[in-house]
Amino acid sequence: MEVDRGLVEAAQAGDRWALEELVRRTHRSVYTCALRLVGNPDDAADVTQDVYLRVVRKLGGFRHEASFSTWLNRVTTNVAMSTLKRRTRRFAVEGAAVPADTRDPAPEPPERAEAVALARRLELLVAELPEGQRQVLVLRDVYGQSTEEVANAMGLTPGAVKVRLFRARERLKAALEETEGGQVVALAGRRRSSGRRSS
Amino acid sequence: MMSCHAVRPLLPARVEELAPAEARTRAEHVAACTRCATEAAAYTRLGQALAAMAGLEVDPGDGALERILVAIGRRRTGVTGPRVLAAAGASGALVATVVVARAVRHRRHQGGRDRRPASRRLRLPALHVPTPALARAK
Repeated sequence: MEVDRGLVEAAQAGDRWALEELVRRTHRSVYTCALRLVGNPDDAADVTQDVYLRVVRKLGGFRHEASFSTWLNRVTTNVAMSTLKRRTRRFAVEGAAVPADTRDPAPEPPERAEAVALARRLELLVAELPEGQRQVLVLRDVYGQSTEEVANAMGLTPGAVKVRLFRARERLKAALEETEGGQVVALAGRRRSSGRRSS
Repeated sequence: MMSCHAVRPLLPARVEELAPAEARTRAEHVAACTRCATEAAAYTRLGQALAAMAGLEVDPGDGALERILVAIGRRRTGVTGPRVLAAAGASGALVATVVVARAVRHRRHQGGRDRRPASRRLRLPALHVPTPALARAK
């Protein structure tokens, strides 16, 4: 999700078209992030709407110190976490529907295609993780937030975040190997570039 | 060299998540142990695939964008939702109460100026209706 700085600045200046274009370009990724965090489509739709209401309110204060995508991602995280605190605990039965609709909006160069194919299969397994582990994993490993940022967003200590994170990774790797017969390892010999984001 | 059992908890971590001593211990062990090297490589691949998930999008369904735009439009015009509507309703009720109270006061004020006796204000004709008991007595 890349957004032009000019478009953001126009929206900040009160250009209604620019604001709508901003929403049009980003709402899918906001919804996807929300869905991964809250675990069901209805709550994710509510979170997405609340995110943009908050964006409208706070956009004037956005100083371009981070990218708009990073800022939007943080807003989404905060709104999703607030929603989860308010929400009555219930099972995310629709989680299994997540992978069916995933699409990669960016063109896929050959070296990215394998990771993307594996990522699509991972969606289902991530959705099946326990809620606390899933949220930590999504924020840290999918969206690249630092351990401290995740801890702040979730009201946990950094140590607690690390424990959940390690358990989630172990569980996910085991689940993936069970379903794919060592697919994760099989990719190892073919991919050399790291591609990981620094935190 | 540390045992595989001791190093295993360090394998899922990214380098920057480990203390320098832990990172060194893991690196030394992985360099000498094929099994743990395979395991560490699997976690690296998993991390790359998870990072790739950030680029995938789920379609929120028909009408989702329109609903967001409508909600934003409402916010910009000041009509935001049940709370605001409830507040607006309460304000309206307050204004209506004040208007009615003033009207009643005004009417009483006008009534005060008209100092006619109560009997003269009642212009209903006096009806003589015998009660059933009286009728029977007659």
